[in-house]
Amino acid sequence: MSDAATATIERTKGPTRRSIERFFGNRAALVGLAIFVPILVAIVTYDWWWGLGPNAIDLRALNKGPSPEHWMGSDGVGRDVMARLLQGGRVSLIVAVVSVAISIVIGFLVGAFASFGGRVVDASLMRLVDLAMTLPPVIFLLVLASIAGTGIMPTILVISLLSWPTLSRMVRARLLELRERDFVVAARGMGASVPHLLFKHGLPNCIDILVVYATLQVANAILLEAGLSFLGLGIAPPEASWGNMLNLARSTVVLEQYPWQWMFPGAALVLTVLAINFIGDGLRDAFDPRSALN
Amino acid sequence: MHIRTITQALAIGGLLLGATALTTPAFAQDVKTITGGFDVGPGGFPKNFNPLAATGGFTWLNTYFEPLVIYNAELSAIEGDLATDYTVSDDMLTYTFNLAEETWHDGEAFTSADVKFTLDLIRNAASGSVFTGRLGKIANVEAPDDRTVVVTLSEADGGLLSVLAQVMILPEHALASIAPESIATSTWWSTTPIGTGPFKFTKYVTDQYVELAADEDYRRGAPKVDRLINRYFENPAAAVAALRAGEIQFTYVEPEDAATFAGNEAFTVIEGDSYVVNYIGFNQKVDLWKDVRVRQAFMYAIDRAAIVESLYGGAAKLANCGYVAPHLVPEGLNDYAYDPEKAKALLDEAGWADINGDKPITWLTYYGSPQAANVMAAVQAMLAQVGVNVVPRVVDVPTYNGTVYQENNPDWNEFPLIYAGLQNGPNPAGINVGLNKSQLPPAGANIMRIEFDDLSAAFDAAIGETDASQVDARWQDVCKVMNEDLPWATMWVANRYGVASANLVDFVWTPAPAGGPFAAHPELWDIK
Amino acid sequence: MLTYIARRIGIGLLMLIALSVLVFVLLRLAPGDAIDAYINPAAPLSMDELAALRARLGLDQPLPVQYFGWLRAAISGDFGFSTQRAGVSVLPLVLERIGPTVLLMGTGMLLAIVLGIAAGIISAVRRNSVTDVALSVTSSIGISSPAFLTALLGLYFFSVQLRWAPSGGMLTPGAPFSVADLLSHLILPAFLLSIGHAALIMRYMRSSLLEVLNQDYVRTARAKGVREFWVIIKHATRNALLPVVTLIGSTIGIAVGGAIFLESVFNWPGMGLLLVNAVNTRDYPVIMCATLIVGACVIAVNLLTDITYAAVDPRIQVA
Repeated sequence: MSDAATATIERTKGPTRRSIERFFGNRAALVGLAIFVPILVAIVTYDWWWGLGPNAIDLRALNKGPSPEHWMGSDGVGRDVMARLLQGGRVSLIVAVVSVAISIVIGFLVGAFASFGGRVVDASLMRLVDLAMTLPPVIFLLVLASIAGTGIMPTILVISLLSWPTLSRMVRARLLELRERDFVVAARGMGASVPHLLFKHGLPNCIDILVVYATLQVANAILLEAGLSFLGLGIAPPEASWGNMLNLARSTVVLEQYPWQWMFPGAALVLTVLAINFIGDGLRDAFDPRSALN
Repeated sequence: MHIRTITQALAIGGLLLGATALTTPAFAQDVKTITGGFDVGPGGFPKNFNPLAATGGFTWLNTYFEPLVIYNAELSAIEGDLATDYTVSDDMLTYTFNLAEETWHDGEAFTSADVKFTLDLIRNAASGSVFTGRLGKIANVEAPDDRTVVVTLSEADGGLLSVLAQVMILPEHALASIAPESIATSTWWSTTPIGTGPFKFTKYVTDQYVELAADEDYRRGAPKVDRLINRYFENPAAAVAALRAGEIQFTYVEPEDAATFAGNEAFTVIEGDSYVVNYIGFNQKVDLWKDVRVRQAFMYAIDRAAIVESLYGGAAKLANCGYVAPHLVPEGLNDYAYDPEKAKALLDEAGWADINGDKPITWLTYYGSPQAANVMAAVQAMLAQVGVNVVPRVVDVPTYNGTVYQENNPDWNEFPLIYAGLQNGPNPAGINVGLNKSQLPPAGANIMRIEFDDLSAAFDAAIGETDASQVDARWQDVCKVMNEDLPWATMWVANRYGVASANLVDFVWTPAPAGGPFAAHPELWDIK
Repeated sequence: MLTYIARRIGIGLLMLIALSVLVFVLLRLAPGDAIDAYINPAAPLSMDELAALRARLGLDQPLPVQYFGWLRAAISGDFGFSTQRAGVSVLPLVLERIGPTVLLMGTGMLLAIVLGIAAGIISAVRRNSVTDVALSVTSSIGISSPAFLTALLGLYFFSVQLRWAPSGGMLTPGAPFSVADLLSHLILPAFLLSIGHAALIMRYMRSSLLEVLNQDYVRTARAKGVREFWVIIKHATRNALLPVVTLIGSTIGIAVGGAIFLESVFNWPGMGLLLVNAVNTRDYPVIMCATLIVGACVIAVNLLTDITYAAVDPRIQVA
């Protein structure tokens, strides 16, 4: 980087463009995209090209292995595993994306208010964050889930309430640094309102944290949904989700004799989480020039 | 410094791995032990040691405590246990029990005073016993001599003996010093309990297992095995894994698991009636179900025979009323054979399109097993065929009970429809609590708020019947009314299963509701 | 320094009280209580009987009365009785679970550290080789797999099929205690637990080692003709370990809460399993006590970390 000419060229490209270039130069991230995009497309569009519905039962075709009619076999009440897998993917991804979106809003607002709101606000919000982080995640998860019950909305609520504290700490740390910079000091001096500070100055300066956090957290949220469903707290049947499909593997019979009922959703889940993690790592490296050295 | 720590850790880790691979747990083989998951499944009640507070788990409690009378292993009749025999007066108000000679595990003699103490303790509401209400008709308990107990009732109660079959007799000399209020939280139950059964309590490793040792001077002969161990499992699947790994010799299993043991010579599959009738309950406080034609439509719309055939593998009996036992079911019942066209016609006649149409109706259940989920999915699809849109909602037991038992102004729309089960045997009066209008909350557990006069009258007549030869006919009347009025859409009574290792000899188990108790004679159990 | 510690302890105690209020309120918002959990819906009791049972547990009192009653008893060290287990007091029940959980988590972490650091070193040294790619892919899958699925599969293959390890529990029921017995129960869940952590540690180790390998002093060592093996072990690894150690430290506080999935699949009598059961049966006294103890551990670990940092690093000012 000591070469002046390179520096000039880099500068003219602008930071966003450089980040994008770095991202597309990252092999793992590209592999991630190559896995994730087809899965996403399949999940979103499946009702148009797959004839069987996720809840259509067939009592004459219970627990049948993969066949031309049922590519991934059928389950204990004759439903098509592929249709359920795709519908389950839709549910799992909706849960993950919405809950992460909510936790980002909470996390950003709490972090931003803490850093711009003055000492008292800062101290009380941070004690709140401390409290949320002192509460063991296991207890928080279990208690929240038993209050909220099962279903898509409760699961979203539980996952989003669980994951905001870390983010708000990161945002606060970033914005505290920013607060002392000239342009923010100037804006404050001119009497800019807190919302103005948050969205005009705070948000743009946190966008990289938010994007990276969001991506990696989506992967975590998918795993969390699966875990909740495994404990009987997430998405309850007959609604399909990857978690409750995997939960069938609890029974030795399914585990051993009907492997298609858990292997396909298991593979879909692991691949999706893997792909999102790759993309997330790629984004982090792209935003953080220092890490690109590796 | 880091390097040294890591190298040490590596070395220790390697040693540990090697050590474990080489050493298999070895312990004395000369002690004959039967280990089982005796509290697995719906009849079990793990971690409870207080028989006064037990709503299940009697199979296990009965290995060291004993009741006065007990069901036989077929659950067809009640026989004496701690009472060698008993007589009932003609007006069914006086029960006289003659007691067996037995000593408590600490050597003290068992006498009629212990029986009186136990029954009086239960009748004291401060004891926190779940039997207080059910023994409410007892007016007086007398102990005229050491071996005789006389129980007097305030009014006839045909179900008294079946309740007494679950009342474990407790030692007065050990418990009299504890105040009734503190009995339930006493540590005595899980540390030093003594009973009269064939095995003596030796130790409880919290939440892991309970260990019993043979009581050599048991009145029916010393037990054949030296130890009995009850291991706790979080779910039947974990118990099945342990059974297949050879760590335990017996456990309850889910129906689909039972199928995988069939034909395997190393195991014996035990099959029996669950005595739980499954039903779809119609909340009568909701306007949807006032018309009997709507309820009939449910019966015709659901292909129960196909569900039993495919999802239960044939191991369930169709229920056209609350009972399936032949002596309780009269001739000439409507069998509601699958007929979706008739269901549609009935719904049209009833004006279903105006009553509800295709708006979703919550269908609440506490059944969380994969099999129940499949059954509900099948029923949901079948009802959708005739234009009834039900949406299953699975919750855990506390949430379910918290919902259906709400005290003040319950929100009926939280449970317009339920999928549940109720014990219909061995005592047929079991379903009275959920169907008789006299059992409307708070007096009983008629959670669907069913107020059908003819049905209530039929129940009252059956329970109050003092002529033993007429009792079955009275219960058949109940069945007939249920079949016509359809307070519930009755579904089936499924079978339940246990799997025992083929090494067990003379082992007796039956999937009795709440775990029995039944005369299992654990003193005769042996292991090869 | 002493005032600082005193103040931190004070804040910690306040946090614990806030935590207890929070959990208490949250619990009462959940539908159903301990008595509801007690009733078998197939053999129901009447509401009157339920009301009598509730009154005995004090569940019929107004919430503030219940809370302050609990708090008063708790301050004097009495955490009440488990509502799910007749006659078992809560405090010993909860305390007795810390050992198994720490044992499982500790062994799991130890395995993870050993495996993760070894794999990380290999991966960094053989950068971009087949081994590196294979290890990276394995670790990515390890991070992306749900813990309960690995646990279920591991249980099935190693216990049910191969019978290498017992199918669950911590000790063979009825057998006299022996270390070998404990280890044979411990090794499988600990190994399965270590997979996810090992994958994470490996990634940190790899990237941190790569960074270090480019540093001048490593080049100098190489130029001096030090053998490559010693360069990596002695010079590079030492310095690359720092971020890894921080990562490991950050997970210790949470560890007391238990590994909920492994504990429930393997019936491991730890904190996680205790809590799952307690929540399922609405065992309020157990949940309250366990929360406080786990919370206290987290606060204590945080405090100790901060004090250590302050003691070691003079640049950090305590006020």
